[in-house]
Parts: sequence; C-alpha cells; structure tokens
Amino acid sequence: MTPDWMEGALKPFNSVLVANRGEIAVRILQAARESGLRGIAIYSDSDAKSLHVESADDCVYLSGDTLSETYLNMDAIIHAAQSSGAEAIHPGYGFLSERSDFAQIVIDSGLVWIGPTPESIEIMGDKISARNKMIDSGVQVIPGEDLIIGPGEDYIESLAAAAARVGYPLLLKASAGGGGKGMRAVYEPKLLKSQYEAASREASTAFGDGTVYVERLLSKSRHIEIQVLCDEKGNSIHLNERDCSLQRRHQKIIEETPSPVLSDAIRQSMGQTALIAANSVNYVGAGTVEFLLSPKGEFFFLEMNTRLQVEHPITELTTGIDIVQKQFEIAAGLQLNINQDDISINGHAIEARIYAENPSTGFLPATGLLSKWKVPTSPGVRIDSGFREGDEITVDFDPMLAKLIVHAPTRKAALRRLDMALSEFIILGVITNLGFLRDVIKEKVFYSGQITTDFLDNAPNSLFSEPAVDPSHLIAIAAAAQKFGLNRQSYGQSNIDISDEYNGHPGDPFRTLSKSFP
Amino acid sequence: MEWSIGDNNKRYTANLVDKDGIFVMNSLNSNEEKIPISEISVSRDSKNDRLWANILGIPSLAHVTKVGESWWIHLDGRIHVINSHEIGSSKSKKSEGSLVAPMPGTIIEILVKAGQRVREGQILMTMEAMKMEHKIQAPKAGEIVSINHKVGQRVDMGSILIEIGE
Repeated sequence: MTPDWMEGALKPFNSVLVANRGEIAVRILQAARESGLRGIAIYSDSDAKSLHVESADDCVYLSGDTLSETYLNMDAIIHAAQSSGAEAIHPGYGFLSERSDFAQIVIDSGLVWIGPTPESIEIMGDKISARNKMIDSGVQVIPGEDLIIGPGEDYIESLAAAAARVGYPLLLKASAGGGGKGMRAVYEPKLLKSQYEAASREASTAFGDGTVYVERLLSKSRHIEIQVLCDEKGNSIHLNERDCSLQRRHQKIIEETPSPVLSDAIRQSMGQTALIAANSVNYVGAGTVEFLLSPKGEFFFLEMNTRLQVEHPITELTTGIDIVQKQFEIAAGLQLNINQDDISINGHAIEARIYAENPSTGFLPATGLLSKWKVPTSPGVRIDSGFREGDEITVDFDPMLAKLIVHAPTRKAALRRLDMALSEFIILGVITNLGFLRDVIKEKVFYSGQITTDFLDNAPNSLFSEPAVDPSHLIAIAAAAQKFGLNRQSYGQSNIDISDEYNGHPGDPFRTLSKSFP
Repeated sequence: MEWSIGDNNKRYTANLVDKDGIFVMNSLNSNEEKIPISEISVSRDSKNDRLWANILGIPSLAHVTKVGESWWIHLDGRIHVINSHEIGSSKSKKSEGSLVAPMPGTIIEILVKAGQRVREGQILMTMEAMKMEHKIQAPKAGEIVSINHKVGQRVDMGSILIEIGE
C-alpha cells in the first residue's frame, strides 16, 4: 500500500533499495521504515551481519570480494532491485551516488532514482566542468587552471607553467575528487612534481581518473556549505549553512550550524548563490553547494555535492526538516511543501565524526573488535552509526565509526553537550579519536569560533596526544580487573548479574532488543 | 605481571592487597624505583565489565574489557589501554628500533635508504590503506639498518618495515 504522504505523486513507490552500507544505509533504511516504505539492503560477504542488513525489511547478497564486484557493481545492484521488487534506489553518499551512468541505468530500468538527473551529476561531478558552469552563471570561483596533458606529453612543463600562472601556494585537485582524496597543497615549486604525482596516484586509485587541476590555495579561509532542496516543478529552497572548517587533510572532522562567523547578510547572499548554482544545472533533490569564505567575507564556489551529505543531520536538527524524507518526496515527483520563509534556525547543532584512528601516530587507521560500545543517551544527542557492540573494524571500509550530533539552544551549550557526550561514549577494543575531539573543541581558537581550515596543520603536537593520567590509577584498575578474573568471563555472558541490561527475562515477549530501561 | 600504558614502553609492577574483596594498591614500581601513588582501591560492580575505582575517597565507575593482553579502561571520560606482560618478557619490537606496519596496506613510496640517519618523526615511507595515503614516521632518531620491503609490495599489519639502529 502506498503511504499516505505520497498521495498525488507522479512517480509513487512503495519500496526503496539502498545501494550503500554502514551508517548512511542505516539512516536511510530507518527513514524508509518510518515513511511506510519497504527498505531493502544490499550486502557483501563481510557485511552479512552488519547493522544495515538488520535495519532492512529485505536484503540481497552481492557475491565477490572487491568493491567493484559488490557496492560498485551497477548491474548486480539493478538486478538486486528487480529481484527484490524494489521500486526506487537511494544511493546514499560515496560509492555510486555521484555516478551519472548509474543514475541513468536506474532510470532506464524503470526504477525511481532518488537523486538529481544524470546531467546534473555529470556537470557537477567533474570539477572542471562545474567550474566552467559556475563562471557562465556568474558564480565566483577560486582562481585556477585546468591541466590539459595529452597522452605521452611531458606533464612537468605544462604543470609548472600552470602553477606559475596561478601562483603559490596552490592546491592540486583531482577533477573527479571528493572527501579530500587526490588533493595536495603545494607551498613551493620544488615540491610540485612529487605532490602532483601523489595527488594523481591517489585520484587514480580512488576514482579511476588521475586528472588533476591547479587552484590557488586560499589560506585562512573557512569551509562553508549550503544545503539545498529542489523539486521537479522548479521550486528550490536552501536550508542555511554548515560550517565544516575543522578539517584534517581536507577530511571534515567537526561540522556545525549556524556558522559562528556568518552574518545574516552573507548567509542570505550565499544561500541565493547556492540556489543559482543548483538551478544552473536544473538540480532536483537534496544537494550541497560548498564555498570557501575568505577572511574578507568574500566567498568562492568550491564544488557541488549532488547527493546526501555525511553532515546532513545538523541541518535536520536546526531546521526540523528530515532531509531523507524530503528526498523521498521529491523523487516521487511531489512538490516541495515548504517555502524559504518557513526555514528558520532553531538553536545550534554540532556533529563530531568518531573515527577508528590514532591521533598520536599521525591518525593511522585503527582496527580491532568493538568489545564494548556504549553510546551516550541524553536529550539533544543523536548518534548515526552503522556499528554495534561485537562488530569488527577492518581496513576494508571507511574508518568512520559514528557521527555524534548534538543540539542545544546556543553554541556554548552545544559545545558543553558535545564534550559531555564524547566523555560518555564508551568504545573499547578499537583506538578512536574520541579523546582528541574532546581536546580540540576546548582549544581556544575553536571554542571562540575562529578556526580556519588550516588549523590542524599548524596545531601543536600536544593536541594529538592524550593528557597524562596518574599511572597508579590505571594500573590499579587493570591489576584489580585481572585479579577479579573479569577476563575469564566469556563475551556477553555474566555469572553475577542475572538481570542483564537488555536480556530482561528470557522468553519475555515484551523485551526489547538493545534497549535498556533502568 | 608487568604493566605498560598505551604506546609507552615504561614497565611497572604493582602490588595490590585483597581487603574483604576490595583490592587496595600497596605500591607501584618501575625499574626497581618506587613510584608515588595516590590512595586507591578497586571494588567490583554488579556488572562484570565495570569496576569502582575509589581514588582519594572519590568513587569513579570504570568500564573495563580485556582484548588480547591489554585491558581497555574507560575512566572519567577518557579511554586508556593498559598492556600486561609476563615479568622479564622482552620489550616491544618498537623499542629495539624496528618499525612495524600499523595496518595492512601497500607500500607506495620509500623515502629513505639503508645507512641514512633519520630524526624522530621524519617521514620514512608512504603506505596506502582505505584508499588513503598514510605517512609512516620514524619512532626515534637513528640510522636505518635495513628496509625490508619494496615499493608496490603488500604488507600485513605487524610486519617489520624498517629497522632503525642507534
């Protein structure tokens, strides 16, 4: 039965296949269930017991060991949709979400594509064509140059010439890039060659396209992006900004909204510019237009992400709009039932990305078993995660364990809430950046809202190591735990605690899974 | 049993006494040297993955779990890893000057040669894992004794990449 909210839709659907995994698959499958849609997951061998599979009404197994055989396998995913009776496909982020050829195949197969048209993805997905489109539409872009290198041509010469015209410091960027991959800053000419090779190599492995272009590196700038929603009838609105200035090697770590530095005037003008950018490619669906904000208050188009963004929850909390639900509505052909005037900013929201990585060893990815996983629960705290206790963290996938999102009336209150929630997040068995996140939000320059995207590059080493603790406290606890024989009890079993947190009484029909009511 | 904290190689021995089911720390030593300790006792909780640490009379709930030979402890909002060692067992390879692969991956760049002197924190090689490049830094200053792998080679976590002498 079609859900009631879909009444009058041109392209109604009852079920959605999520062509993704991890936290974003969980998020979308939960939204589907809430909206009365049948949610279908896909999974590879290593994900057979993953949370996103558990969150789905149905799931389809994709065989093969590599990503190109599974989550990047367009034919297998279309086949999975057809065999499971899915009527729509949501791509999430990453994987096939920004592949115009995939969007086209989905549409050609008679399925509803939850995303923009293949043409929009095509133009915005290639950074060089996106830049040119923006220049044509009167949107300001960062000064830069394409690198056109013919086959067999000596690239060093053209590269050096382009670099000299753009000027140092500069940024080498993969045309097909995203998420900081295939991007390198170059501060002096002698490092140009090695950085170019690194960027191109990384881009080839990650995106299968090693094309790189040169852009001026704007120092002391902030990364600010605007969430937009556009329907098929030509209505478009923006949901204000997200400030993602805390980054490490162009990977976002903490995002917040509203930005601590944006005036109402710049917010409005940036919002309008984002809509011009979106409308220039007849955008449909939820998308994000990223800008760099210079210290002088000028802003430049960076790129448009033609998909759901990792940090979308903070916008949901301050605007009260469920972006995934809106994606469903727009994909079904429904008209946006909200106007720009309906969009307000309620309080302040911050997202911290919890990664399996070790800040004290230069953020090398960490692996292991999530032996203990206890998420903070209090008002104004939201956790989006694809993991649960007992899951194994491998190097096969992205090292993001969870997104911790807080909402409070003011920025200061939100920061206090974030620190509290980080301190109550218990992850044992895998090294994480939890402690680092607690330290970084207390850094004066972050706390006062003054950071720029290069903050962590110039931060003192002490920020990356945990504050010292009296060794006697820790060793007393470890030695006592050993003497009490706590290690001899097998995982999940308890011989002194009969009313275990979530077991309740065995066989009790009212017990709930993974919920505790203390 | 000897103990070390996190990546630090310093070894400790601890003496705890059982007082009616509560363990009280009596002394802590490192290299036969007495380490000053605070008044601390540890008692059980109703759940087997928690302990009460009573530090200077203030109780804190610690979440604990053992993974391999290490105790993972969540205490006062911070997570710590305390490693246990058999008494007299050799110190970790790292302290002897070899650099161990921190993750499985592919070596894509080697920036040093055998015989070269390096400073602590100097970037020695680049590895790729999770489609990202990671810089491998020298854990200490010294001379490169040997480089055990070639560019393009896949290595498992824990393989010795480079040995660094004095």
